[in-house]
Amino acid sequence: MRKWLARLAALGVALLVAGQGTTTALAQEPTAGKKIVRVGATQSMDSMNPFLAVRLVSTSIHRWMYGFLTVPDSKTLEPSADLAESWEASEDGRTWTFQIREAKWSDGKPITAEDAAWTFNKIMTDEAAKTANGPAVENFESVTANGQELTIKLKEPQASMLENPVPIVPKHVWESVTDMANHDAETYPTVSSGPYFAVEHKKDQYVKLQANPNYWRGKAKIDELQVIFYDNPQAAIAALQKGEIDLIGRLDPPEFKAIQNDPNIEAWNTDGRRASYLQINHGATTTDDKPLGDGHPALKDVKVRQALHHAIDKQKLVDEVWDGLAKPSDGSIVPPMYQDFFWEATGDTKVTYDPARANQILDEAGYKKGPDGVRTMPDGDRKLEFRFSIHTDTPLEDKLAEYLTGFFKEIGITLTTKKLDSSKFTEETGYTGLFDIAISGWSVNPDPEEVLATHLCSRRPTKDGEGGGTESFYCDETFEKLYRDQQKELDRPERAEIIKQMQERLYTDAPVIALYYTNDLEGYRKDRITSITPIPEDKGLLYGGSGYWPFYTVDVKAPGAGGGSGDGGSNTGVIAGIVGAVVVIGVGAFLLSRRRKSVADERE
Amino acid sequence: MTAPLEAAEPAAAQAAGPGDERSTRRGTVRYALSKAGGALFSIAMVIVGTFFLFRMLPGDPVRSLAQGRNMTPAQLDLERSRLGLDKPLIEQFFQFVGDTLRLDLGMSYEYKRPVLDLIGERLGPTLLLAGTGLVIAVSLGIWQGTRAGWRSGSTFDRFSTGTSLLLWSVPTFWLGLLLMMVFGVGIGPIPGIFPFRGIESVDAPDGFAYVLDVASHMVLPCLTLVAVVYAQYLLVMRSSLLEEVSQDYVTVARAKGLRDDDVRRRHAVPNALLPTVTLVFMRVGFVVGGAVTVETIYTWPGLGQLFYEAISVPDFTLMQGTFLLITVAVIVMNTLADVVYHMLDPRVRSA
Repeated sequence: MRKWLARLAALGVALLVAGQGTTTALAQEPTAGKKIVRVGATQSMDSMNPFLAVRLVSTSIHRWMYGFLTVPDSKTLEPSADLAESWEASEDGRTWTFQIREAKWSDGKPITAEDAAWTFNKIMTDEAAKTANGPAVENFESVTANGQELTIKLKEPQASMLENPVPIVPKHVWESVTDMANHDAETYPTVSSGPYFAVEHKKDQYVKLQANPNYWRGKAKIDELQVIFYDNPQAAIAALQKGEIDLIGRLDPPEFKAIQNDPNIEAWNTDGRRASYLQINHGATTTDDKPLGDGHPALKDVKVRQALHHAIDKQKLVDEVWDGLAKPSDGSIVPPMYQDFFWEATGDTKVTYDPARANQILDEAGYKKGPDGVRTMPDGDRKLEFRFSIHTDTPLEDKLAEYLTGFFKEIGITLTTKKLDSSKFTEETGYTGLFDIAISGWSVNPDPEEVLATHLCSRRPTKDGEGGGTESFYCDETFEKLYRDQQKELDRPERAEIIKQMQERLYTDAPVIALYYTNDLEGYRKDRITSITPIPEDKGLLYGGSGYWPFYTVDVKAPGAGGGSGDGGSNTGVIAGIVGAVVVIGVGAFLLSRRRKSVADERE
Repeated sequence: MTAPLEAAEPAAAQAAGPGDERSTRRGTVRYALSKAGGALFSIAMVIVGTFFLFRMLPGDPVRSLAQGRNMTPAQLDLERSRLGLDKPLIEQFFQFVGDTLRLDLGMSYEYKRPVLDLIGERLGPTLLLAGTGLVIAVSLGIWQGTRAGWRSGSTFDRFSTGTSLLLWSVPTFWLGLLLMMVFGVGIGPIPGIFPFRGIESVDAPDGFAYVLDVASHMVLPCLTLVAVVYAQYLLVMRSSLLEEVSQDYVTVARAKGLRDDDVRRRHAVPNALLPTVTLVFMRVGFVVGGAVTVETIYTWPGLGQLFYEAISVPDFTLMQGTFLLITVAVIVMNTLADVVYHMLDPRVRSA
């Protein structure tokens, strides 16, 4: 018995030592000498196929892997050269010619205009390939290639042509794909033209990317970029605190607060690209102008909408709901980080927080207060009781609803909260119009055309309740005309003016009321990452931005110079050793019990 | 689900008469067959139920897929026909039943891959985690339960019953986060040595070191899983042992002069094990479903995580597929439990 124990103990110690030795050696081997950046993400990739991928994380990763015709400039966010070196538009703005850069794919083959033409034509002709970026080529009549020259003919002039979101894929790899809808594109290494190419993807676990030596701007400073998925945000925050990941983006205020005081973490708090607004059912209609849904009739009156706007204390919402990590909105749906396009209300147009003014507007318009303090319609006795649609399981929206209910009570309007799960919410607020007021928001791209388009007549659902993509059921002649004008205007400052007028229209007519612009909240290990350049370079975004720039410019401490990876190695050894010991003891205990059993057998 | 089928059976078993082993075996086979028939009927009902259940859920799957994107009506129609949602319901139903019987669970809306492939990929990690968890929980439960029941009222009894009940009532999510904070990140003098994401390191080593790597990733999820569930095995074992302690045969064994340990291990425990065995078999069915909460806390790439992803999209075919698999596994395991119980305990056969 004692002998047994001694043997076991010896074996345990031996394994512990051996385990530690081998795992340290093995764990460090694949990462030895490599500069690795690990990015945490709380959303996993839906598809590695850029024709199908729609999730934010996937499109971000594809931006690091594939070149575009043009990309936003890292300083000004204006379109600048990427795979297209130069370009020009014909007089009528309907023919665009791009000169494709003489560069190489990551497999060494030359990049030509053929690749771009194939990519666009594929999306134009194959319905399945339209999944991710179909609308981006809707206006294309034909795309042809001649050597390095790419010619795109448009059906209508389109100023946002230089903001094309389609990643260009290599024709020589992709032309063999016949069934696009079911092609998962899990072949590694990928053939890419961006700063990185993917070498491994484990579904819902991680993606590994390596620096592309053939990238036309030159190889990135780091060797490997890993995107690691966490199902729950707390785990991702914990991983950042522990140093298992180097950077995480898209944080909520509570998550941001958790890392704010960590000495090793740089808490990133800058202007964001998202606008949060209220969507008001001002009489939802279909594309053939038939009324839709059950919106409250009072909201058809622009005066009521303006009164609501006056009743909202946006500063208070920012302070209380968003912990001060947002900016109250004095504009519309384009956030101030896009200086060129941002419009801010001034003077008489500006709607300030003024409940007295709101009450006065409603009094004058004939919405009289009843004995219970709730206003009624001028021509009837229907009360001004509105529903506020929000999502389930979103504490921030719950809080927002409480404050709005309080604000509207001040002006004799009752607000009741209606919580819906996300698919029901989309249906009621985007297709069937079964709402009064709903929470909404949009992350705006450097070119705001798409967010403006969500308020066009054509985005309303058809009479069968199909199609759409409307954010407001808005249909306004002035707005439509301005939209067409900006499409044709190729001069950037002129176009920006028109876009500002569109925002002013949305602000005063109030089909949507912008509440605040939420800050971009991120965090990274400053003991690991030595430099990273945001986009735009002056106080811009890191992961939260839509671009490869921060991840192309990122640099980390050389391995071995302390920090995460070294500790990780020895930790793994210790853990492995412990596990080994546990296994040994477990096996030992089993053997021991069997021995005792056999002794017992002998005795009986 | 067991009652009506059992009723027909005892007559046959009794007719066989004692000592006639061949007819007893035949009785068992007949019993097993009737059980299997019942299980098949249940599975058929589940298939039908699944179809209607997932079509009654609020929200149009195609619209939720289009969320945040601009899709033209033509594109939506295309998507609908791709998913077969444009056909009449009755046609969809027969299509669904036919496909399911051919083990074709359809394509996932979100991942654009066959559901069966996705499930196949996840089955391994789930069986590893939930299986290990079950084995540990059962062993721990039986061991502690035996000792607690044998000396009921002792300090050990009060301690283990108290601890296990406390852990049983703790919410899994909370316990998981707590363990992650303490043993994953580290608090104060406690170093955070255990990984808390996934089944392996991103730069996982090869060979034996890989096994250790996976093992170390299993520590926290397993701990959470075991801590929350082992109480049920402990309590069942404890109470059934308590019943045996006062039985005559135990007194006889003691009177024979056997050691206390032997009385317990060779006489009382085997008799007390039956309820636990049943319980274990019923739980085995749930192993396939994994532990949704635990898998989501620790980003474990198992079926639970897949189900969670499917719900949050929502991905109807994937939800349907995983739901079907989990229910069928439970039905199959329950049936097995019935049959095994029948074989283990002669009283069930002749009663």
